[in-house]
Amino acid sequence: MTVIDFLNFYIVPGIVLGSIYALGAVGITLVFAILRYAHLAHGDLATLGAFLALAMVQLLGMPVMAALPFVILLTAAVAVGIDRVFYDAFRERPKIITVMSSLGIALMIRAIVQVVWGVDTQTYSRGLVRPEDYFGLRLRDREIYTVIAMIALVVGLQMFLSRSKWGKAMRAMSDNPNLALLSGIDNRKVVMLTWVISGGLCAAAGVFLGLNTELKPMMGWSMLLPMFAAAILGGVGRVEGAVLGGLIVGIAEELSVLVLPSEYKAAMAFAILLVMLLVRPTGLLRGKVL
Amino acid sequence: MNKKVLALAGSLLAATALTGTAAQADVKIGLLGGITGPIAAMAPAMLLSAEMAITEVNAQGGIGKGEKLVQVTGDSACNPQNGTDAATKAVNIDGVVGLVGPHCSGAVIAAANSVAIPAGIALITPSGTSPEISNLKDNDSVFRTVPSDDYQGRALARSLKAQGMDSVAVAYLNNDYGSGLANAFKAEFEANGGKITAFAAHEGEKASYRSNLAELAKGGSDTLVIFDYGDGSGLTMLREALENGFFKNYVGADGMKSDAPIKELGANNLGTFITSAPVGEKSDSLEVFAKNFKDVGGDPDAVFVTTSYDATFLMALAIEKAGGDKTKVAKALREITSSTDGEAIKPGEWAKAKELIAAGKPITYKGAAGTYNFDAAGDVPGVYALFKVGANGFEKMADMK
Repeated sequence: MTVIDFLNFYIVPGIVLGSIYALGAVGITLVFAILRYAHLAHGDLATLGAFLALAMVQLLGMPVMAALPFVILLTAAVAVGIDRVFYDAFRERPKIITVMSSLGIALMIRAIVQVVWGVDTQTYSRGLVRPEDYFGLRLRDREIYTVIAMIALVVGLQMFLSRSKWGKAMRAMSDNPNLALLSGIDNRKVVMLTWVISGGLCAAAGVFLGLNTELKPMMGWSMLLPMFAAAILGGVGRVEGAVLGGLIVGIAEELSVLVLPSEYKAAMAFAILLVMLLVRPTGLLRGKVL
Repeated sequence: MNKKVLALAGSLLAATALTGTAAQADVKIGLLGGITGPIAAMAPAMLLSAEMAITEVNAQGGIGKGEKLVQVTGDSACNPQNGTDAATKAVNIDGVVGLVGPHCSGAVIAAANSVAIPAGIALITPSGTSPEISNLKDNDSVFRTVPSDDYQGRALARSLKAQGMDSVAVAYLNNDYGSGLANAFKAEFEANGGKITAFAAHEGEKASYRSNLAELAKGGSDTLVIFDYGDGSGLTMLREALENGFFKNYVGADGMKSDAPIKELGANNLGTFITSAPVGEKSDSLEVFAKNFKDVGGDPDAVFVTTSYDATFLMALAIEKAGGDKTKVAKALREITSSTDGEAIKPGEWAKAKELIAAGKPITYKGAAGTYNFDAAGDVPGVYALFKVGANGFEKMADMK
């Protein structure tokens, strides 16, 4: 196997897949850090985002990348709505109740997707897109978009969290909720902002997964475990950790084929998750929560 | 006092038992299908043909003294867990007297082992093709109207050899369907002197299979055989293989003969893609079925519609023979399919079959997919054809021997 083959068929797909995981994992890590629970509907929220983009592509004839900003906003609004209607009611109850209710939300979202868009596999555009050759590297446009968009969204988020007033408020909530409340930070606004950001990123993850493969009602659910593995690997509560974790999980899944029988590829995320929890539960970058 | 309570409880129990039988004006039959999941595009046509059989039964006198046959539809989602859930609901809550389905092998094995066999309910699957289903310890209650993949895998191996493909790479989905088919194929292909350059399982529902494909391509063969579902990971794999040019020729089995690859990848890109699938033997019965099925808006060439119809019709015949008693349905099914020279019954001839059963005469059901005479494991032999992708979907290319 030549170096260029290794890059083309193992590393490039790993990075693209890792970028998609990273977008989802950032949302998971934010919810975990600020609201202190595991959000199991994250995968299906990504599915919803992907199918909303499909609706825009089919009904309005927009290119997927043009639909992306609208889909991010729409899904963010849905996420805020879900929080207001369901999770808000459990805010003062034990967190496990919210975790379980998020599983219910996941099933509800999937059912809605199946009722509205049907159960068949669909794509944004029919036919094949053959890769272009960049000095031996075979890349598709959509793969380049995926990685660039991931970097842009995460850098933007990082700037927001470190520079803006509300970003600082979110970090304060994550570090010490009681102290943050005492210093006059508006809890409801921070919660809403958290959902806007994680819902939007989630939608982006779904759209890019759909762009790179196909749209299926189960697409997000099967991505949930790698996304959690990525969030924990990077250190829960660390945005840059989630990105690193996503990329590592994605590349590790693709590389696992070299050493393990290919049916164990799907177990790679499990293995990483287990080893990490045993060896270094705080994650690579010293997470703040676990 | 205690005796009085007991007596009251006893009479109440008897009363409920009585109303139970008296209210049983309808006979329920479970249709379990992979409505969601990796065969979602195939399931609607299969359910439509099963429903057509039920409609015909009810239009021609129903079961017993005019009781209606009522369908209870469940989603087995093509996986063992949902298959068990759907079967449990149908058997324990809806009280069906027989199950038609589930559609996928893994779901069939799970539903049979944990629900149908313990409850003594007869199960006929129209599309569960894994060789493992033959080995179930089922007290003769699990049947299928579709041949085991042991036949299909071997027939496909011989056909590819005959087409001049001497070396192939095999990728199969890691479940009962994929591994059963792949192992049968491998044994026969190698026995005929073919060379398998790579043989690897994969998990479904992953976002990327490029590294799997790169591993498969290392063996140097230009043909990839995919035993997977055309709405699931089989489609993802086919797309990525075509886009990156890992192989020249692609071969699938019945699971890949779905409309999804044509719809999503385009027929023009699938010029080197062929699939095998079971086909009905040409017969009067098949023509009758095809005409009736077209009238209700179905496509008689769709995969597994003939076997779905036959499974439902056979189940109805067995229920009629058993007098609606669910404990006797499996035995009745064996009885009505045991004679090959009884009065011939074609698709749609419910009234005639009903009379003959009432008179206690032997019948032979000449179904849309063939005449049914189950072997000891509840299996039937099959006829297969190779299909290629033409301008109007899948076109038959050659018969398989």
